[in-house]
Amino acid sequence: MMQGMLGAFREIDAAVAAIEDLKERKVGAITVFTPAPRHEFEHALKPPRSPVRRYTLIGALSGAVFGYWIAIWASESWPLVVGGKAVSTWVPYTIFSFELMVLIGGLSTVAGFFIHARIPRVTMTVGYDPRFSAGHYGVWVQCAPEKLRDAEAILRRYGAEEVRGAE
Amino acid sequence: MATLAPPSPHDAPHRPNIAAAGQPLPAIRDYEQVDREILATLRPTKGWFALLLVAVACLGLGIAAWMYQIQQGLGVAGYNPPVMWGVYIITFVFWIGIGHAGTLISAILFLFRAGFRTTIYRCAEAMTVFAVMTAGLFPILHLGRPWKFFWLVPYPNWRFIWPQFKSPLVWDVFAISTYLTISATFLFIGLIPDIATLRDRERNPVKKRILSALSFGWRNSEREWRHFARAYLFLAAFSTPLVLSVHSVVSFDFAMSLVPGWHTTIFAPYFVAGAIFSGMGMVFTIIIPIRKFFRLEHYVTLNVMDAGAKLTLFTSLVVGCAYLVEFFIAWYGAVPVEQDYFWNRLFGQWWWAAWIMLTCNMILPLSLFSQRLRRNPAWLWILSLFINLGMWFERFVIIVPGLSHEYEPWQWSGYIPTWVDYSILLGSFGWFFMWFLLFIKNLPVVAITEVKEIVPPKVRAGHRHGGGH
Repeated sequence: MMQGMLGAFREIDAAVAAIEDLKERKVGAITVFTPAPRHEFEHALKPPRSPVRRYTLIGALSGAVFGYWIAIWASESWPLVVGGKAVSTWVPYTIFSFELMVLIGGLSTVAGFFIHARIPRVTMTVGYDPRFSAGHYGVWVQCAPEKLRDAEAILRRYGAEEVRGAE
Repeated sequence: MATLAPPSPHDAPHRPNIAAAGQPLPAIRDYEQVDREILATLRPTKGWFALLLVAVACLGLGIAAWMYQIQQGLGVAGYNPPVMWGVYIITFVFWIGIGHAGTLISAILFLFRAGFRTTIYRCAEAMTVFAVMTAGLFPILHLGRPWKFFWLVPYPNWRFIWPQFKSPLVWDVFAISTYLTISATFLFIGLIPDIATLRDRERNPVKKRILSALSFGWRNSEREWRHFARAYLFLAAFSTPLVLSVHSVVSFDFAMSLVPGWHTTIFAPYFVAGAIFSGMGMVFTIIIPIRKFFRLEHYVTLNVMDAGAKLTLFTSLVVGCAYLVEFFIAWYGAVPVEQDYFWNRLFGQWWWAAWIMLTCNMILPLSLFSQRLRRNPAWLWILSLFINLGMWFERFVIIVPGLSHEYEPWQWSGYIPTWVDYSILLGSFGWFFMWFLLFIKNLPVVAITEVKEIVPPKVRAGHRHGGGH
């Protein structure tokens, strides 16, 4: 069974140093909690790029196509014939295409964000502490039982204000 | 609301409060101070209850007038052929315009990394959502049978009745519903981390549960922030062209017709610039009292006001240029009906409305060339009221003189709004401010997370660390 060790830091550079050491020693999987997004953590963790942009692209293209399609299909199926003018015209229908591109693209972006950020979440995970939305940085290391002592030692060495284990 | 921790007794005025390149908010020292001071704004006061009561009373008057109009018919609203668009459409365009500055501040300035937006964008974004919610009511209020408004939506139905996709009114439906959806989504996504902060400070178990649901179990992990940043960026990128398109589409309601003064190609950029200008006016109308009564002078600093005032001045100059270009086009186009219309607008029947517009939108904002006045909140607030007035009259001047002075002499008429029009206009302000007042006492009026991003984080003694990233 995987267990973990949580360290709460007051200072950002201490938390970053602890993360770098934990990564170097391959102690376990690291999750960082921070009250505001900080590039220091991104540099230390080197996470993969967010794939949310793919949802945006696919949603936007689908919306643009759907916008043209609904207007053309409705016009051709129930035509309002005006002498000398085309039943379907692309210029005004670009407005529908654009609006639906934005609408579906935007909502797809949110869907991608929810999927990859893994929210909505019904319960808080063991590593979370309300201090991490105030002024503390949390470093949660999920590791095998035999590595818990190593994780604790590293977190303490870099000045964690509190270190506690959980499973 | 009332169950949040009380503010610290140390919350004295913060001096000095002069921004520097690396420290935009010098009076804010740490994350705890940000939480404490912004969450303190959520405690309701007697003044807030009094304002809410006034807003609800205005809304009640508007609802009563609308009920009367439904019973009696649209004739009670002061419409007489040929002037069949009046206060409702003027107010519709006015409120749509108000929303635009919110999107400009929250999305466009975010993409341009304009730091001064950080402490005012939440207010501006909420203003956008509530303004569009208000605007969306007016086309419905303007219908003889308002319960049929959904006929404009292309839904499959057994009558095989579909909207006319070449009609600007249908473009409006798509543009405004998209704008409202994306603006509300953008506002809510930005609020999630702040709602999580509220959740973590809340003591009332029922409210804590509600906030937990609204925050979707957000826990400030690096993973969540990474995807959040990407999603926020793309929503901002979508909102930017959207804000330009929505008022362009609204302008097509007029420009696609042959009414004198309306049938012109400059309407789209002219409307967009006017919308941003009017929205900046409303931002100042709202943010200056909030800044004073919530004691947020060290968040919404004079530098922020100065930058906003420069934006207002710039958009005023663009709008002023558009007014002059309209007259030039009428003169150079040599169409007698157009020329008569513009003469009538400025020196004829509607001179008073046109001069209110020109004074409020072109002349008074020139005062913002003075840095002293740009940094004077009292003057900015007074000016913002004039801008709101002037921009309402701009739409009046576009709509009413055009319809009351068309091609044939029988079409030359007047327009006098009735008490029903005025009541519904007042009701719209009640509706808008009711939502806004509820918002500012339930959710943070300044974005906690974004302020924390620009506050230098704590580092170990002897280590140095820069400010925001």
